[in-house]
Amino acid sequence: MKGSLAKTVILLVGMYVFLKFILPLFTAPLPASLIFLYLALTLASAMIFYTMSGGSLDEFMGPIGRFLTGTGQTGIAGTARILVFVLFPVLVGWQTYTRLAPSDMPPAENRTIHPAPPGEFVGLANPYERSQNNIMMGKGLYAAFCSPCHGANFDGKGPAAVGFNPPPANFGDPGTIAQLQESYLFWRIKKGGVGLPVEAMPWKSAMPRWEVELPDEWIWKIIMGEYDGAGQSPRTWEEEE
Amino acid sequence: MGYQKIFNVALGLILTVTGAGVSCVFASDPPPESGAGSVAVRLHLTDDAIPADDPNAAVWDTIQPAEFKLAPQVHWPDRIQEVTVKSVKVRGIHNGQDLAILLEYADPSNDAADAAAIEFMVGDKMAHFAHGQEMLQVEGGAVNIWYWKKEDGKATDMSAKGFKTIRAQDDQNVSATGAWQDGTWRVVFSRPLQTGDEHDVQVTPGEWRNVAFAFWDGEIVDGAVKERGSQKAVSSWWYFRAEPPPDNSIYGYVVLGIVLAAGFQFFLVRKIRRGNES
Ligand code: HEC
Repeated sequence: MKGSLAKTVILLVGMYVFLKFILPLFTAPLPASLIFLYLALTLASAMIFYTMSGGSLDEFMGPIGRFLTGTGQTGIAGTARILVFVLFPVLVGWQTYTRLAPSDMPPAENRTIHPAPPGEFVGLANPYERSQNNIMMGKGLYAAFCSPCHGANFDGKGPAAVGFNPPPANFGDPGTIAQLQESYLFWRIKKGGVGLPVEAMPWKSAMPRWEVELPDEWIWKIIMGEYDGAGQSPRTWEEEE
Repeated sequence: MGYQKIFNVALGLILTVTGAGVSCVFASDPPPESGAGSVAVRLHLTDDAIPADDPNAAVWDTIQPAEFKLAPQVHWPDRIQEVTVKSVKVRGIHNGQDLAILLEYADPSNDAADAAAIEFMVGDKMAHFAHGQEMLQVEGGAVNIWYWKKEDGKATDMSAKGFKTIRAQDDQNVSATGAWQDGTWRVVFSRPLQTGDEHDVQVTPGEWRNVAFAFWDGEIVDGAVKERGSQKAVSSWWYFRAEPPPDNSIYGYVVLGIVLAAGFQFFLVRKIRRGNES
């Protein structure tokens, strides 16, 4: 038993080295999913080869065993057996093909939409009073600076929205500002797309870096106007717990 | 005892592998493209010479275009709220040596200051689509811009890394030819895939890279050119790839997979037979 375990491990390591390092010397490298599939197949074969004894076999595999070995089979069962033996390798071959077939699709994008903000932007409170006046002013600034992308209706459908990937956020969507604190918005608006960390792919974002154009006071008021206009309220500290 | 556990594990593995195979058969279709437009430009591989300076070559009509929507440039000052070019159709071709990209877009008037540009990231560093502007948490790279203007009658090969840094390169590697007919510009850009110039995008067949587009309507309105400088129609990054030559090693791997699966079955049956005999 010990010996066979060691042999299995050596076999697997050998197979891995072969698939991962030796094959690529001659042809294109294999994707990890296929290497995994081949290793699983090798492992399953090895386990069955080394570990199955007659006793355990009968207990667990009686009917399946008889089916696979074809003992006493006639008619439909025999045909089914051959079908299984043909289909399984075909399936593996097919899977290999679909995984490796050249794809016309660009690499999948795993863009983090709400990455952690830099420390200095955590827990800031809006220093301006939530007054009708301030909200009105914020909405006016929003209309002037933000609506071309985020839309006059806060729905992300401004006239300039179509050219950008990722698209401008739709503030009516519960997945955007309703999930966020005001201090998070303050960071995003001040630093814009270029302020994002690498996992959020800053090179793709059209969100402007507003700190070069707007004073902090305007940004805080725009945040008020944005929540009010989109009919959302900011996430607060209490909800955080 | 121990054997039984191990055997269960083996059986589980078989089921997993078979399940993975089955699910793959039923899930092999690529996801449908979003209704908004294309996500990638494909440079089709050809054995022939490429139509490097002919926007109306017959081969272009054999290629399915990718289409990208364009926005008025409102990302940084000076902004513009309304632009002429609303979308662009893009076709590409290469022969392993040279590439050509055709931009086709509607512009009702043929003006001296009409212009079009294609932008690429250079090397492996990510660059922001707005002229490689500075990013705060990521060290960005430069962009390579191929710029065509009607009145120049040629392309300019340019570099930028940040706003106001754009300049023509010393080494000019790109050519471009435009043809206007019935309210449609067709502009073809061409270049060798590889230039050996560190300021240029290098195109390797099979490799996905980023691409973005910009257009200027040079119509004179009230004595001034309507769109110029940062006032233009833009896109952000999309993808492009030069089609790789067909790879036959895939069939080797298919055979390997089939042999492994058949070998597995062989061992399984043989083991069961032996077990039954004892
Ligand atoms: C040029 C188009 C454009 C303009 C103008 C613009 N934005 Fe954005 N904005 C975007 C894009 C694109 C995104 C999504 C990508 C990202 O998160 O950076 C975004 C994201 C955001 C987010 C993050 C939402 C979330 O769920 O993470 C906020 C908040 C935001 N914008 C606020 C504003 C405000 C306030 C203004 C006006 C002062 C504004 N934007 C102007 C394009 C724009």
